[in-house]
Amino acid sequence: MRVENRAGSERALAFLIVLEVAVFAFTGPNFFSAANAFEVVRLGVELGLLALALTPVIVSGGIDLSVGSMMGLCAVVFGYLWRDLHLPIAAAAACTLLAGLLGGALNALVITRFGGAPLIVTLGTYSLFRGIAEGLTRGVDNFSQFPPGFLYLGQGYLGGLVPAQTPLFLLFAAFYWLLLHRSIYGRALRAIGFASDGARWAGIPVNRRLALVYTLSGFTAAVASLIYVAHLGQARSDAGTGYELLAITAVVLGGTEIMGGRGSIWGTLLGLGAIVVLQNGLRVSAFPAELAGILTSAILVSTIAIGRRSVGRAAAGTAVTQEDGTEEEEMKNSQLAVLSAVILAGSLIVAGSNWWLVQSVRPAASGGAGSAVPAKRLTLAVMPKAKGDPYFVSCRAGAEEAAKQIGADLIWDGPTDLDPAKQNEVVEAWITRGVDAISVAVVNAPGLSTVLRKARAKGIKVLTWDADAQPDARDFFVNQATPQGIGDTLADEANRIMGGEGDFAIITGALTAANQNEWIKFIKARVAAKYPKLNLITIRPSDDDRNRAFSEAQTLMKVYPKMKLIMAISAPAVPGAAEAVKQSGRQDVKVTGLSLPNMCKPYVKAGIAESVVLWNTGNLGYLVVQASKMAVDGTLRPGATSIDAGRLGRIGIDGDQVVLGKPLVFTKANIDQYDF
Amino acid sequence: MNAMRQRAVAIAIFWAVLLAVLAWRAPGFFAGSNIRDIAVINAPALIIALGMTVVILAGEIDVSVGSQFAVASVVAGLLAKAGVPLPFVALLTAGAGAVMGGINGALVTWLGVPSIVATLAAMAFWRELLRWFTQGAWVQGLPAGFQWMGFGQAQGELAILVCAALLFGVMVWALRNVQAGRAVYAVGSQRESARLAGIPVSAVSFGVFTLLGALTGIAALLDSVRFSEIQSGAGAGLELKAISAVVIGGTSITGGRGNTWGTLLGASVLAVIAPALTFLGINAFWEKAIQGAIILGAIVLERVTTSRKMKAHAR
Repeated sequence: MRVENRAGSERALAFLIVLEVAVFAFTGPNFFSAANAFEVVRLGVELGLLALALTPVIVSGGIDLSVGSMMGLCAVVFGYLWRDLHLPIAAAAACTLLAGLLGGALNALVITRFGGAPLIVTLGTYSLFRGIAEGLTRGVDNFSQFPPGFLYLGQGYLGGLVPAQTPLFLLFAAFYWLLLHRSIYGRALRAIGFASDGARWAGIPVNRRLALVYTLSGFTAAVASLIYVAHLGQARSDAGTGYELLAITAVVLGGTEIMGGRGSIWGTLLGLGAIVVLQNGLRVSAFPAELAGILTSAILVSTIAIGRRSVGRAAAGTAVTQEDGTEEEEMKNSQLAVLSAVILAGSLIVAGSNWWLVQSVRPAASGGAGSAVPAKRLTLAVMPKAKGDPYFVSCRAGAEEAAKQIGADLIWDGPTDLDPAKQNEVVEAWITRGVDAISVAVVNAPGLSTVLRKARAKGIKVLTWDADAQPDARDFFVNQATPQGIGDTLADEANRIMGGEGDFAIITGALTAANQNEWIKFIKARVAAKYPKLNLITIRPSDDDRNRAFSEAQTLMKVYPKMKLIMAISAPAVPGAAEAVKQSGRQDVKVTGLSLPNMCKPYVKAGIAESVVLWNTGNLGYLVVQASKMAVDGTLRPGATSIDAGRLGRIGIDGDQVVLGKPLVFTKANIDQYDF
Repeated sequence: MNAMRQRAVAIAIFWAVLLAVLAWRAPGFFAGSNIRDIAVINAPALIIALGMTVVILAGEIDVSVGSQFAVASVVAGLLAKAGVPLPFVALLTAGAGAVMGGINGALVTWLGVPSIVATLAAMAFWRELLRWFTQGAWVQGLPAGFQWMGFGQAQGELAILVCAALLFGVMVWALRNVQAGRAVYAVGSQRESARLAGIPVSAVSFGVFTLLGALTGIAALLDSVRFSEIQSGAGAGLELKAISAVVIGGTSITGGRGNTWGTLLGASVLAVIAPALTFLGINAFWEKAIQGAIILGAIVLERVTTSRKMKAHAR
């Protein structure tokens, strides 16, 4: 019964993958191609390694939440050994694998010797590993410029088609298959998962077996981290953020029982396939990124619910299970039926939103400036650093306005979280889709540049905006203000508000946020060069959470009573800090920073936030779309000195940069003129 | 019971040491205003941790509270903006939370989905749905009476603390003295025995998720009223904070053992770490590492102070 049931759920999953492929082959241009199939494999490797490692862990009745953080720690260790200790790359890699082993052994030690529940222990190491990685790098260090031979592991192709990391992944899959299905270890793990006391009485060395799987899990996470670093071309402490949850989802979707005792590597591979194909297909079809999470959770719950119900029904019937086949058949059919229903519902949502998108663009095309509409509708893809960030939401309005005017299709999509690998995945999908131009607000320059070069090689025009990539990876950079410009303006504002001397503190976004760290660098440089009497006392994180910024500001005011200014450089942090100052009733502390005028209006008017610095985000989005259209039709080419950017008038070009202008400083006097 | 107490004792020792260091290096930490501010900020997290305690005591877990918190905050904001009177906003927000919790409960009880799977799915589902719906936009332009529930700052802060204290008191009492409270312990200790003893185990499981949802709704409202705008991305990582508070407080992750006092201790420790680091001038980059080390340290200390026999049993 149990074996049959699992085979049934694996069939259902295989059917689900086929269905996904069928739907996306229809909705996603070039989705159904060998090149994209291999791209999907590449995207799945890091996640797949973690899912493989987690399968025996979960089968043994445990869990390992620390694998994503372990990737971050290993990436940092690897970068440090190679760049700062000048170890040869192979030696650095070997030491990194050792670090993974040790981290896994720490989990194993606390779980087996000190009797901690795996969920709590790995919750602890989840914080610990990431924390050490952040502490070692101060959140800032970004190791890059690895030798090409190493990068080949993550970016190269064997025989021109097969991603170079594929053989390694297959090796691990085979190893874990042997371990779980063809060795006494696998059988022992199952026994432990069913009942660990029973297994102990049966003579199984429970602790040794458990120690093995957790140590292996750390080791595999280290391998995944090396591939991740080679794939992105950079090593940072935020590598693998959130991977643990996705890996667990893949394992559980694959039919492994979360309470332990049952599970298979095949199932995990199928579950992984279902998730990765869904993610890639949604991106290639240019459906909103949010759908991936929504559909994955719907599929997860429905598959598990169906599996559980059928098991429950069989168990509830009689003690002796009847194996006459009819119930088996019925169960399988109902599984397929519900799965199909879920997918159908999903595709309906997708189709609906797509129709709505097309509708919202079309009238503009016919109403646009007739003759300017090119014969073929252009597809312009624009990516923010993060979807859902209010700053980029306000950029989008301008981008859509411009797309309507020029009658082009605008794809606006990007990461929904801080995972630095997401941008690469979206760009890959756009290359597959074959868009005309790609414009990216770059989160990680060294990491993203490799894939942007690939896009250029395929004849796609590449622009960067908001933050630049490496210069040879893009055609133009739409420059609203350089990091230096921002840093200088903020430092100048600080000097003005504080009257030339005193203490100030910075509240940043996430400690690892690349752009904020860049600004901080220039703020420090400017202060050191021009304003020696200003003193930066500390930098605190807000994780882009208004409430966290609030409590940090509250504490800062108490610890540093002489502090005169809080400089908040993440959009939600300015209102957070300003509210804290307001509630404290302190008149002698002011707030400035980088944020949206609408969010800060009440505080600017009340005189708490003396000023807020930003450029016109709507204009930025508008200019990006205008410029990418001109890059495609050739108006914007090397050597041009200015372009005619619609309602913005003539915009100057400086070398390979389209310059929007200086940042705006919003004060009590002018803030009412702006609405974004 | 004893084994779990040990963890709470270990944590209490750690906490005492931390407070002693603070008293020595940064006595300003103990200023009344600082204690009050820390309490007000962390009251919502404590309320969620209380609900989480009950869920974990019943042998389940809920990792979707952070997303529920974000949805409930936006619901509260939209209702208040639409001109719904505040008492009804409170009721409806708690109701929205209860519905989200109830969905988790239904998935777990009637569809047989393990709670970690069901709530893992709910976590992604609500977060992504909310982002799709709001596109990251905040709820702005709330009526003037929304902030501090129209009380003014000092009374508003007091009201939040009183709400949290009342809920805490009710929980402490109910878990010990109400039949439903003891049923939670029974179901978490041994589900099958509880069923045979005549306890409606499905109703209990469903109930704990619904209760946690409702408490999350209340917490979201109490958190929102401290501000005049509502952010749409609130509550990220809240689930880990709540679960950490519960397990640091000595509640057994497998259910049946633990209590709300431990959770209060766990929540207090977590609440103090971040401001304590600022007061001590320790770099923020080490914060996560310290949090993780505390959890591991608690487990190790607990083991060191407990007999081997107890441990074998606890596992």
